[in-house]
Amino acid sequence: MNSLKKLRSNLKMMWDYRELLWNLAHREINQRYKQSVLGYAWVILVPLAQLIVMNFLFSIVLRIPSQGIPFIIFLAVALLPWNFFANSLSSSVNSLVSNSSLITKIYFPREILVYSTIIAKMVDFLFSCIALVIFFLVYKTTLTLTLFWVPLIFVIQIIFTTGLSLILAALNLFYRDIQYLLNLVVMLWMYLTPVMYPVEIVPEKYRFIFSLNPMSVIINAYRQTILGGGEPNYFSLTVAFITSSVIFAVSFYLFKKMEGEFADYV
Amino acid sequence: MSDNIIIKAENISKVYNLRRQKTFKEFLPALFSGSDTRIKLNALSHIDFEVKKGESLAIVGRNGSGKSTILKLIAGVTKPSDGRITVLGQVAPLIELGAGFHPELTGRENVYLNGSILGFKKKEIDKLYNGIVEFSELRQFMDQPVKFYSSGMYMRLAFAVAVAETPDILLVDEILAVGDTKFQEKCLRRIKEFQKEGSTMIMVSHDLNMINEYCQKILVLDKGKQIYFGEVEKGIDKYQQLLS
Repeated sequence: MNSLKKLRSNLKMMWDYRELLWNLAHREINQRYKQSVLGYAWVILVPLAQLIVMNFLFSIVLRIPSQGIPFIIFLAVALLPWNFFANSLSSSVNSLVSNSSLITKIYFPREILVYSTIIAKMVDFLFSCIALVIFFLVYKTTLTLTLFWVPLIFVIQIIFTTGLSLILAALNLFYRDIQYLLNLVVMLWMYLTPVMYPVEIVPEKYRFIFSLNPMSVIINAYRQTILGGGEPNYFSLTVAFITSSVIFAVSFYLFKKMEGEFADYV
Repeated sequence: MSDNIIIKAENISKVYNLRRQKTFKEFLPALFSGSDTRIKLNALSHIDFEVKKGESLAIVGRNGSGKSTILKLIAGVTKPSDGRITVLGQVAPLIELGAGFHPELTGRENVYLNGSILGFKKKEIDKLYNGIVEFSELRQFMDQPVKFYSSGMYMRLAFAVAVAETPDILLVDEILAVGDTKFQEKCLRRIKEFQKEGSTMIMVSHDLNMINEYCQKILVLDKGKQIYFGEVEKGIDKYQQLLS
């Protein structure tokens, strides 16, 4: 009851600070490509180049099966959400440290700095989906009604990403090692998530690794629902939803607990 | 608390736990060898003061005496380790101007960003915008990224945003030392107006003339300890004794 009340007052506060949240997200989006000639086109060009090279490597050289779907599409529906996840983490881990001048000067709920970073990455992600649409058109992929599951999966992904980001950003304020460790972990994590291969080619006895990994469940669910593989695995998805919510709740709690000390340590 | 007291500090202390080791590499061996991983720094101990609405307070002391820590406590960015501080009203910090500015964004974008950090809504900034530009005298530069601004222009814009609306409490941290004399006078005039409208100013300064002119109360600190709190004249004497 008490925590519900706290949650409500926090949501109300977020609503009061919505303009700051939006302005910070806007700054994040705006500043990045300001001095580049191609500007925001980079958001599409980077994954496009990644997709083309990886497609060559994994489909043509290594001949990884892709369940009868053009490999590049098979790859894109997993790689783009993965990039959103990885970029969100690596940017939010620095979101408190890089705004230290604000943290030591003026009070506002600090989680706004993390949220605004994730919103900026989400905008990037939505733009990068243009690349996916191009491939759908080129390969004349037919989409089915199960596509309507995608928003729900996306919400689970956001809860999971935000949860991890909050705790990483807070810890990085105390120990800068976190940001270096994170780069390593995210890279290895990608190999242990079925982004570049179907989970079906993994030997049965190692599959449990993937069911413990929420990102693996999320990526699989995207692939299944977007590429017409039927409805997602409800059980795994429910587990992923619960895991993500618990991670979010715990990190949020710890974040709020440490918040008062941010200005002393940054 | 009586109704015209706006800031009340009761026996506040602030202890910083500084880590002796900055990375895991240094931290882990220290943890295992059992040596101390933290040093305590008493930034403030047993400070008591109160400020009435419309009064202005000067905080003086040598470097490292805890002046900025008091401003941080009033701004609410850090909490006292002991004691209690009560602040009633909206605080506008003018500490290290331009903290909320981003070099790649234009002057206009920065006004909106900085305004929302200070807690203004977009509609309010829309209304204040012309006044801000007027005050900063930067009309023809508003659509340029602020990275092309000189440090004086930068300061003018930041000050203009911070003083766009009468705050309940204005925190000023030696910033008036920057900028040309003409603009400085303009800033001081604005501060005078605020005081007339009932704002409270908390000022950290080494300029005794300015303190005499703008403040009614003074807090003298030395190495985190309170030497004096009260009338300006007596406080300045104490401070000068401290320096000599």
